[in-house]
Amino acid sequence: MTQLERYQRGLLDLIKRRGTPPCDPYLESVAGSRGLEMVREIALWWRALQLEAQCHFTCRLLKRLNCFDALVRAYFEGNPTSPFVEEQSRDFLAWLGTHSDDPLIRTTAEFEHALLEVAAGSVEIYEVLWDRHPERVLAALENGAEIPLAEPNCLYRIQIGAQVADTVACTREVRE
Amino acid sequence: MASADTASASSFRPALAATYDGDDPSLLERILPLVDIIEVSPDTIARSDRAGVRLRPEILDEFGAVLPQLRLVAHGVGLSIGSFDHWNESYLALLDGLFSRFSLEWHSEHLACTIVAGENVGTMFPLPRTEEALDLVCERVAAIQERYRVPFLLEHVIHLLPDAPAEFTPAGFLNQITSRSGCGLILDAYNLECDAYNQGLDISAFLNELDLRPVRELHIAGGVEHKGFYLDIHSRRARDTTLALAREIIRRAPNLRLVTYEFLKEAVASLGHDAICAELARIRRSIHQ
Repeated sequence: MTQLERYQRGLLDLIKRRGTPPCDPYLESVAGSRGLEMVREIALWWRALQLEAQCHFTCRLLKRLNCFDALVRAYFEGNPTSPFVEEQSRDFLAWLGTHSDDPLIRTTAEFEHALLEVAAGSVEIYEVLWDRHPERVLAALENGAEIPLAEPNCLYRIQIGAQVADTVACTREVRE
Repeated sequence: MASADTASASSFRPALAATYDGDDPSLLERILPLVDIIEVSPDTIARSDRAGVRLRPEILDEFGAVLPQLRLVAHGVGLSIGSFDHWNESYLALLDGLFSRFSLEWHSEHLACTIVAGENVGTMFPLPRTEEALDLVCERVAAIQERYRVPFLLEHVIHLLPDAPAEFTPAGFLNQITSRSGCGLILDAYNLECDAYNQGLDISAFLNELDLRPVRELHIAGGVEHKGFYLDIHSRRARDTTLALAREIIRRAPNLRLVTYEFLKEAVASLGHDAICAELARIRRSIHQ
């Protein structure tokens, strides 16, 4: 490994808080520097700004639930993020769909992920199951109203796809 | 005596440019009469979809609609010319697209690394000033110069992390790059102020050591102080000290052709169109003093 590679890999690990503490004197000086905290903060600030612009509903929900900053950080530090905003946003939503313990976060992320995939040219039809009225959830996220509760005997089946009329279709199923 | 290519700096008035990355035609309409050139970032006007990464056609059409009035330069952020393994080929594809549609006066990138082992770092960090980094950058500059037959410029970036052990001074490293590769330079007056504040860079000594002949473009921006650091967030009007430094560089750099006021697309709403236009007028008055 060349010196340049060692430095760059070391800086990446430090910025993303990965790996073992460096044994290189220069990287040790970086690890203890004020500048490293600032670089980490800047990297996260950019990620947050970009994700908010692309993943409108999901980010609003995460902020409402006070977990936005923590999840953006967990995503950034744990994943090889794309330099391209749209790709990064789709990856973030896909990651949330499998890494969040909260069913509403998972569902909202899956829904918005499907919308972005279709906008990016996917010809697949995506299906997302909601445990509460999806339109009311999205409206609540938009206007700050209270998020509706889950409806125990109801399932909202949403299909998203370029072939679907108006791109999104929803059916309500009542369980006996 | 100055050669034809190095006309007396004192008698030459550089052109004025502003950054513009699309989606705001009313802003473009207002700034076009105030500037000579528009600086566009290929990365910022791109979209990634299933087909890959490409320039957004609606923004190319925006530029196309004002083409008779428009002179363009490109200023990238995502090439990652200093990555140890490889640069970002997607960026070059975007640049190909821009060159195929428009005639660019020149193009430029940051002397930095944004991708490590294929992974986006999330920010830019400067290169260690070593022979190894120098060889790598010069080889890549040569490839770029072969690919696009217009001048290519590199811009220094701010230092927030401690400097890696170096074989060259900051100016000496840039001198080696320009003399070995023949590329040009962008000096960023605000970045120099950031480095002076954050890292104690002696700007006078830096400028005295730097070969200023390859400097073709000068950037002016305004940023913020945060937690004891000056940050190069292009979100404000330029400070008076930045303009004063810019005037000094203009006076001393014999081949400087362009001064660019940089502001982030994300900052347009908070700056406002009126303030951006007023700032462009202020910068033009200042640099032509």
